[in-house]
Amino acid sequence: MAGYESLITTIALVGILAYSFHVVLMAGQLSLGQAGFASLGAYLSTLAVLDTPLFGTVSPVWVGIPVGMLVGASAALLLGLPVLRLRGVFLAIATIAFAEVVRILMLNAEWTNGAQGLRLDKWVTPGLAWAMLVALVYVFWRLGPSRAGRAFAAVREDEVAAGALGVDVVRTRMASFIASGAIAGLYGVLYAYFVRRIGPSDFGFTMMLDGLVTAVLGGFLLYFGPLLGSGFVVLVPEAQRAAGLEAGWIHPLLTGALLLAVILFLPGGLSSLLTRLPRPRRRAPIPVTLPVTATGHGLPARGSQLLAVDGLGKEYGGVHAARDVHLELHAGEILGIIGPNGSGKTTLVNMLSGLVSPTSGRGWVLGEKLGGSGGMHRFAAAGVSRTFQHAKLFDRLSVLQNALVGTHVVSEPTFLRRLLWLPSARHDERRALATAAAQLERVGLAHRQDLSASQLSYGDRRRLEIARALAARPTLLILDEPAAGMNPVEAAGLADLVRELANEGVTIMLIEHNVPIVLDVCTRVLVLNFGEVIAGGEPASVAADPRVVEAYLGTAGTGDA
Amino acid sequence: MSQQLANGLFSGAIYALFAIGFTLVFGILRHLNLAHASIFTAGAYLGIDLVARFGVPIWTAFPLVALAGVALGVVLERVAFRPLAGRADEHFAGLISSVAFGGMLVAALQARYGTQQHSFPVDAFPNRIYDIAGISISLAQVITLTVALSAMAALAWLVAASQAGRAMRAVAENPNAARILGVHVERVTASTYALSSALGATAGVLMVLNVGQAHLSMGLSIELTGFAVIILGGMGSLAGAMLAGVMLGLAESLTVHYIGSSYKDVAAFVLLFAVLLLRPQGLFGTIRVREA
Repeated sequence: MAGYESLITTIALVGILAYSFHVVLMAGQLSLGQAGFASLGAYLSTLAVLDTPLFGTVSPVWVGIPVGMLVGASAALLLGLPVLRLRGVFLAIATIAFAEVVRILMLNAEWTNGAQGLRLDKWVTPGLAWAMLVALVYVFWRLGPSRAGRAFAAVREDEVAAGALGVDVVRTRMASFIASGAIAGLYGVLYAYFVRRIGPSDFGFTMMLDGLVTAVLGGFLLYFGPLLGSGFVVLVPEAQRAAGLEAGWIHPLLTGALLLAVILFLPGGLSSLLTRLPRPRRRAPIPVTLPVTATGHGLPARGSQLLAVDGLGKEYGGVHAARDVHLELHAGEILGIIGPNGSGKTTLVNMLSGLVSPTSGRGWVLGEKLGGSGGMHRFAAAGVSRTFQHAKLFDRLSVLQNALVGTHVVSEPTFLRRLLWLPSARHDERRALATAAAQLERVGLAHRQDLSASQLSYGDRRRLEIARALAARPTLLILDEPAAGMNPVEAAGLADLVRELANEGVTIMLIEHNVPIVLDVCTRVLVLNFGEVIAGGEPASVAADPRVVEAYLGTAGTGDA
Repeated sequence: MSQQLANGLFSGAIYALFAIGFTLVFGILRHLNLAHASIFTAGAYLGIDLVARFGVPIWTAFPLVALAGVALGVVLERVAFRPLAGRADEHFAGLISSVAFGGMLVAALQARYGTQQHSFPVDAFPNRIYDIAGISISLAQVITLTVALSAMAALAWLVAASQAGRAMRAVAENPNAARILGVHVERVTASTYALSSALGATAGVLMVLNVGQAHLSMGLSIELTGFAVIILGGMGSLAGAMLAGVMLGLAESLTVHYIGSSYKDVAAFVLLFAVLLLRPQGLFGTIRVREA
């Protein structure tokens, strides 16, 4: 029985360690410094944990747990401030280096008793360890379908698209980083008071690998992945022992083979075997009671000024992608932007949606200053919603979830209220679902809502991106070449949609190569060439402008056509 | 003091040799190959086995170990990286699959050689000590420097001047464009791993020559040092990795001399942090840093 007690506790502990990796992986961050946070949490908690039970009965580790979590979270914040600028493997290396520095510091400090380590009392029971793990499972279960959970997933799948939909990417990454620190700190404390002896080498590269392997094996797309991964990782050696395979090399070989098989053939981890896609539970059809056009912002009065830029320009190392653009836009307009390839259309809308900062000129969009600090999420929050020239979807999320991320700026945070099962959170989530579903309906994707976005055809991908942008109930909708690759029937449908939206009061900027559509639906047209505005005005007059004809067809006389 | 610097130079040469293999793969293919350290360990054990069991002279052992490295590299690429090509999470998945491959390789070493430390037989090469300007240098150190320098020179020539090197540089610049221009990208990928692993395995033998023993976890500490070297030198820069490797070896010696041996490894990571934080764009390489 004593043997099983240790086994049972180990499953819980490894599961907790794996959650500290899970929370960063689910936000797409390859942060591997958890061993450092765990070490700091464990060592510092020993300063706060007494030798005797509190009030005679309560395990003193209850004091250590908040201390360890706080230490881990603070360390993550302090480390995150400088290193979260880094991405991918650079972040991985910086965080591994941090853990290594912590290990060396602990090895050389006096109060940690160096390599000898500290002897501690055993205060962690299987019940306590499992209570902590169950609490984590609960938290991640409630996080998944909340607004914050969707923000994590959106940042993981595509940071730029997430930012364009109003998700504060920097804060989301930091939140996952801090949560990872807190959970690692918790793990450190529980580990210390379970094994009763800690040394700096306990919190090394091997711990990092164990946590990472468990998190990846279990899968980080589903909330119970770490639990599954831990059960697997801990029980495999048991099964192997039961089968009489005692040799020490068999375990690492098996773990390696298993990990390789999972990453090659089952990228979503073992948990993806149980549910193919993370999707909301089947529910009764939602009555679409909200008028589709209701907006979160309250649309401005027709004719009021939404946007004014003056002398706007963007230079990339001597190349003027856009130069000296003056532009005003009023509510209710449908502004078409045309121009040859490379004429600066996309650069212009990238500036207007906050994705890139202008190198010259100034202006504002819906009250947000161009080139200010902070990301593009500010523009999204102000009511700018956009699509991209190459559709940027969240590929591993379902069609419905893509549209749900779109509601980010028009919905309230629900995670904390979901933890407490408050009815208001449920109500808010239903509203978001209704908004998302209504927009899918509108672009004709309602019947595809449970597919994953990566399964959609090209035209459907573009439609989903438009639905997602509409779910944010924008004041200003920017469509970057939405008709590219659409057949004439689809393009005509798109034109109808644009007119319909304009009727509802949404202001639209339409970048398009399909000139007939632009001349047909737009109220005003702007023509760019070589980064500069060469013409602008009513569609009919623009179409007749010789400079426009020249830009598109070449100077008269240079060709026979 | 100058003795310390000389010792730093020798270990620095090993770091450099290890790290250029590491950085070669990163620079050309953008893969962070965490199995590199396991191949380093495998090289060490193989080298000892060749000399101790088969009586191969140490000079012959080096090319044989390098060949074994080539074979391991080809298998590694085939098993852990090629199946992931083109997947959206290719880089993350490659990191995990290389961890898995490395773990399996070390497990195989454990099955074959057990967990105890291994070392060269005492008569493998004469334990000669030279005295040059008051600095004593062992034959092992001379061998180390000679092998490391010639391996690096050969690599530098290969990448800079040969047809294969040109193809590698083309793939590094833009794999798709390289493919369109007729470069056989799969072959370049495989040969990059082969070359990188040959260097890593050779570095393993040199490490044993210098520190005396091989053990299963010897890859862990050099892996961390390898990270530091490739960041300092600039991700993917071969010359940078060579310089940074030697720099780190010297920095370690100086740390040992002035602060104490227990802080030996801190030097590497302090340098690493300084580069990552103060010059996030990298000393020589192209560190992609962008505020979202």
